[in-house]
Amino acid sequence: MIAEETLLAQLKDEDRRSKAFEVLVNTYKERLYWHIRRIVLNHDDTDDVLQNTFIKIYRNIDGFKGESKLYSWMYRIATNESLTFLKQKSKKSGITNEALQESLVENLQSDVYFEGDEIQLKLQKALATLPEKQKLVFNMKYFQEMKYEEISEILETSVGGLKASYHLAVKKIEAYLRED
Amino acid sequence: MKEKPKRTFKTPEGYFENFNERLLDRMAKEESIIPKEDGFTVPEGYFEKLPEKINARLSDDDNKVVRLNPSNSHPNKKFYYIAAAIAAIVVLALTLKPERGQEIDFSDLASNDIIEYLENNDLGLSTYEIAEALTIDNMAITDGTKMPLEEENILQYLDENIDMEDVEELNLDYDDFE
Repeated sequence: MIAEETLLAQLKDEDRRSKAFEVLVNTYKERLYWHIRRIVLNHDDTDDVLQNTFIKIYRNIDGFKGESKLYSWMYRIATNESLTFLKQKSKKSGITNEALQESLVENLQSDVYFEGDEIQLKLQKALATLPEKQKLVFNMKYFQEMKYEEISEILETSVGGLKASYHLAVKKIEAYLRED
Repeated sequence: MKEKPKRTFKTPEGYFENFNERLLDRMAKEESIIPKEDGFTVPEGYFEKLPEKINARLSDDDNKVVRLNPSNSHPNKKFYYIAAAIAAIVVLALTLKPERGQEIDFSDLASNDIIEYLENNDLGLSTYEIAEALTIDNMAITDGTKMPLEEENILQYLDENIDMEDVEELNLDYDDFE
């Protein structure tokens, strides 16, 4: 795999940008897809947000100062795009964010790209009840198996705070899943 | 002197430093009732076709002149919205006949109609975009509040609006939490 520094240098070079961007998309498309999908839940919405994320990355790469790692910056853009997308969706529908979360989970039952069983659907219902930050941390740690240090750089939160968030999220989800 | 054997195998950077954490996570996962997979799938061939779709959108954007529509990602789009809103109000105000003896004063228009228009119409701007467009240099913390920030008001707000769990999240260290 190409080193991040080399890739970044190529992305900032106009002559090599196009090829380097192709490498970047191929390297991160799946990871960013699953990150976004676990926030917006629906495949078509994820596809829109993912494309917007990559376009934003391409358009703003010259402004990236390298103060954080490239992948953290991209994850931050993906997270912001996903959350903004949900906020706009709830505003357009005239419902609260909580009501939107519930309706997104309800829609999963008829979603052809959700093959979850009863317990997996219940897990999504449990996740919909969590505060935004806890939900993000849980998905990044449990399903994407990211390190706390990586999550800390993306969400700009201390490792201690993230551990507490994750621990609380796990307890709440387990309690929800044990309910009848 | 016996030569030190050469290491032919390598491990990823930080592999041993993170080994304990990963092992504990895995053990916790094995014991948990939370499912290991979440059941989401993607259409067949989706990831293979994605780079092509992104490239098509990029070249599409490059071939277009600045468009005044909400999906445009041009950095100045927020200014176009605000300028369009103000221009619309000015045109309306100038084309409407004022009542006899009553003259339209621009300061009235600015302080009432524009604020009302901005409040009642969805300009498609997120709070992030509005924040980006405003400079904070000339703003005071009390500009957005109707009552002064007395200690009593702050305590009452915290009491009514802050979830204790959020406070715990902010302050707790994991070791203290255990």
